[in-house]
Amino acid sequence: MSDAYLVEPDMGFIKEVAALGGGDLKKCYQCATCSVVCPISPDNKPFPRKEMIAASWGLKDKLVGNADIWLCHNCGDCSTRCPRGAKPGDVLSAIRAYAISEYAIPKALGKAVNDPKKLPFLMAVPAAIFLLIILVAPFLTPILAHIVPILFHAVHEGEEIVHSSFIPSGFVDMVMVPTAIWAVTIFVLGLKRFIADIHANALLEGKTDQKTIVPAEFVKALLRVIPTILKHDKFNECTDNRERSTAHMMVLFGFIGLFIVTSIFFVVMYIFSIPGPYSQLNPVKWLANFSGVALVIGSSLMIKNRLAKKDSVSAYKDWALLGLALGLGVTGLLTEMTRLGGIAWLTYLLYYIHLILIFCLFAYLPFSKLAHLVYRTVAMTYAEYACRK
Amino acid sequence: MDKKYGVYICTGCGIGDALDIDGLCATVKKARKTAKTHPFLCGHEGVAMLKKDISEEGVNTLVIAACSRRVNFDIFRFDGCIVDRVNLREQVVWSHPKGDKSLDVNHTQMLANDYLKMGMIKVEKIQLPEPYKLESFTRKILVIGGGITGISAALDAAKIGYDVTIVEKEAKLGGYAAKLRKQLPVASPYTNLIPPVISDKIRELESFSNITVKTGTTVARIAGQPGDFTVTLKKPGESLEFDVPFPLPPEMKVDENGKDLDKDKLNELYKEFNKGKNDILSFDPNGEKFGAVVLAAGWRPYVPAEGELTHLGYGAIADVITNHQFEEIAAKGKIVRPSDGREAQSVVFIQSPGQGDDKDFAYTGAITSMVALKQAKYVRDDFPDGKAYIFYQHMKTPGLQELFYKSLQQDPGIFLTKGEVVSVSKNGSGLVVEADNTLLGEKIQVKADLVVLGTGMVPATVDDPVVNLAYRQGPGFRDNAIFNGYADSNFICFPYETQRTGVYAAGCIRRGLTMEESMEDAAGAALKAIQCVESTNRGVAVHPRSGDMSFPDFFFQRCTQCKRCTEECPFGALDDDEKGTPKPNPTRCRRCGTCMGACPERIIGFADYNIDSIGSMVKAIEVPSEDDFDEPPMRILGLVCENDAYPAIDIAGLNRLQFSADVRLIPIRCLGSVNVIWIKEALSKGMDGVFVLGCKHGDDYQCHFVKGSELASIRMKKIGEALASLALEVERVAQFEIAIDEFDKVPTIINDFVKLVTDMGPNPLKGF
Repeated sequence: MSDAYLVEPDMGFIKEVAALGGGDLKKCYQCATCSVVCPISPDNKPFPRKEMIAASWGLKDKLVGNADIWLCHNCGDCSTRCPRGAKPGDVLSAIRAYAISEYAIPKALGKAVNDPKKLPFLMAVPAAIFLLIILVAPFLTPILAHIVPILFHAVHEGEEIVHSSFIPSGFVDMVMVPTAIWAVTIFVLGLKRFIADIHANALLEGKTDQKTIVPAEFVKALLRVIPTILKHDKFNECTDNRERSTAHMMVLFGFIGLFIVTSIFFVVMYIFSIPGPYSQLNPVKWLANFSGVALVIGSSLMIKNRLAKKDSVSAYKDWALLGLALGLGVTGLLTEMTRLGGIAWLTYLLYYIHLILIFCLFAYLPFSKLAHLVYRTVAMTYAEYACRK
Repeated sequence: MDKKYGVYICTGCGIGDALDIDGLCATVKKARKTAKTHPFLCGHEGVAMLKKDISEEGVNTLVIAACSRRVNFDIFRFDGCIVDRVNLREQVVWSHPKGDKSLDVNHTQMLANDYLKMGMIKVEKIQLPEPYKLESFTRKILVIGGGITGISAALDAAKIGYDVTIVEKEAKLGGYAAKLRKQLPVASPYTNLIPPVISDKIRELESFSNITVKTGTTVARIAGQPGDFTVTLKKPGESLEFDVPFPLPPEMKVDENGKDLDKDKLNELYKEFNKGKNDILSFDPNGEKFGAVVLAAGWRPYVPAEGELTHLGYGAIADVITNHQFEEIAAKGKIVRPSDGREAQSVVFIQSPGQGDDKDFAYTGAITSMVALKQAKYVRDDFPDGKAYIFYQHMKTPGLQELFYKSLQQDPGIFLTKGEVVSVSKNGSGLVVEADNTLLGEKIQVKADLVVLGTGMVPATVDDPVVNLAYRQGPGFRDNAIFNGYADSNFICFPYETQRTGVYAAGCIRRGLTMEESMEDAAGAALKAIQCVESTNRGVAVHPRSGDMSFPDFFFQRCTQCKRCTEECPFGALDDDEKGTPKPNPTRCRRCGTCMGACPERIIGFADYNIDSIGSMVKAIEVPSEDDFDEPPMRILGLVCENDAYPAIDIAGLNRLQFSADVRLIPIRCLGSVNVIWIKEALSKGMDGVFVLGCKHGDDYQCHFVKGSELASIRMKKIGEALASLALEVERVAQFEIAIDEFDKVPTIINDFVKLVTDMGPNPLKGF
């Protein structure tokens, strides 16, 4: 009797997964076509058949801490071939969204991020912060400029439009740096539980031979996995939605490029004390523009794909992320263009919006679909480490 | 009838190219008959020629040597004429190499020649059948059972204009259908439970003046035969002199040493055994007349025996109940536990007893899957947080009921998994169900307030003959055991047809069915009953030889009262009197000829199919001897069942599969009709071997007449002993099985047997 698993279905979980885009999960009749056609599912305990029944039985604890839901790349081969239209790909996607909000604290924020009705409030927070900065900047900047001149310019001389004279970089970083730290902290806290859970689950379900997690080996596994992620090797094994791989790659590299640019300029500003804006001839600027364009094209393609796909579900969580990516790219590029074009009021407005979006990106990252960046990387690393085949 | 013969040889379809037609014509001439040839006999010109001969020359007995009797049968049917078809196409030229006309020994030609001679002698020996007409006849239909099936059948028959009487043993119509909370859907969109349809049906029934309802009534006996049944009705539990007598059980038919008792002693015992009951041959003068019977007596809930399901807690734990008990609770109100009356918010439905076997409970079929789904819905309807679990080995959702399954699946509180339930045990005031090999990948436990076992529906025929037929073979259906007690004669073919002509089963007495299926079944059985009375009225067989006008004729002067025909008839068509003389009931008969095959005195035959007609065909086969040949070719007789085997051979020919030309095939109605005299005659005239080719027998039989091929196999075994006494190898006589789709096996079966016989050498009796 002791080795039997006591099943206690959580009907609330079923309803939530349904609301997150897994509305067809109960259509599954366990034929396992999905597990057979999935190009990336392992041979031992393949997904998503077992996840489908666990979901329809409301077995939250078998899913939230299950690394397999993250190995899925939502390419949709299973959904296309499902004879019942249960859309396993979308169900796993919904379960992942649920798992993200389970690991990110405070949970209430996670719920809010997945709730379209809460969007205005979430956007209002950065809007208010930056509005406040815009209002107080003219009074505080002259004082602060004496202390850290590089961060708090007095109003610029000459014709050139400089965003930092509208909202000084110091204020921006005063907001963004803590926000980034907040995001990292939430991730660290979440990952601690996440790794423990997926390991426990793998042990319970016989998906690994590794008894414990050796940190050094885990890092080595991470290094082995990173090229796979960058090259989108797993994504490319899919048949039905392979074009999404290219779009996804553009978005990913766009973000990586922009991250590199931001880091370089951060160093340039704080260590070498050279304030922006920088010349368009600067190779870092090339990377910035190139990444921005990649982000816009990539996210536009993904939106187009989603609009064209009638057989898969696109929930709020998907639109929110794609909207954010596109918004970031578009406002970023337009801010730059209007600056160069000399339309001051418009460029300041766009910069304001751009900052709001960046805040959303950082502050809500651990709660949004974008958190897959972290969880999927960790899960793939764990699979590599645990020799999941 | 004065026969005027005409033999017509078609030379089309390759026959003329492969055979020496002049040679065949010479054979006809030798038989003092006239032969005509035509290049396209089934065409307008050919048929016109035949019709002209019939009308102008007075030809009334035609031998048509052309294609198989299975094709163009409508073209070559001429009223008032005897027609035989010699199968030169499929079974000669298409299945054998084109003979060299210049050679002395031309096996294909010899084959065609023999077939022609066999056809010519056959028409000499047969007569045109005349229909059997009953002296008194009624079209009234008796429906046994006033549940959803019986009522539907009555309505269907009444709508077409037939008088129907429903007898129902309970005081009220409706049966189980009237005792439910809700029922499964019967119409599109098939997604929701509906109120039981039975009350509407009963209301509809009242508007038909040609339907008589007798509640609180059962059948004491049904005597006579289709078209003229005499039925005695009674109140349940009543004892009448017209209660049906039962045959002696086998253990009473032998003495203490196990020896068979003699006829007089048996009669004496039989009378004692059925004291107070009139014999089957005496008819109730007050009986009601019916033409056919629809048997819709339904079922009773299965009750597990004590100790049968202890691992599931049945009997020991009050909250482990059957689906029937659950339905009773549901019909009263909210789902509550029998033990303490508390609400049952979590209910586990178990569909299979488990214990290493994936079989469902006995007498279930698809219906219990559907019932579990329905009852799961009750739980969800009663309690917003209610949970219903279904553990199944098979989820069977017949037809569009799958839509109900699909819709129910969507309910977040219904949990389905395949799995084997290992145990049900108590856990405080609740229960714990443990299951293994589930789709959840491991052994699991579920907490339950109530456990429901998906037990089956036992057909009424398990407990009681119900129909109480005054037949010598007994009041119920024979061999119901191979159908698990269901009133059926084959689970796939012949729906509604029981093993008794004129009695058509429908609904849950035939298999576990949903209400929707039962109503459909009722229509089927009602139509069968109508087919029966109408065919009986025209004096033709009902099925499977629908329209056959022949019936067995007995030459009673030579009957030795051995009772073999009475006992072996698969349909109980024959009753016998005290002395054992058979009393035929032609409208019960299905014309298989099993009685003819059984009769050792060979006194039974049909106008167009009898001992002499087939025997003469056997005799017409030319057996080459050493006088004519250095090495005479083998001659082997094949008696071929015309239901599956003969068509299979035709299809083999159609596919140009080749087999030995040493074999002569004769189509027969059923292997049951094979009289061993034909085999003896074949061997004694020097034929080297005989095989019978027919349907599969045993529990999964495919025999169209239920027992025919099985009886043949018993007779073949017995003939083996006789052969041994004649110093003939027993292997010279064999029986093979074939299904209609196994035409590819035909050459192997035939050629292997020919090789076996060839290896044994020629029949030593040859030439004597």
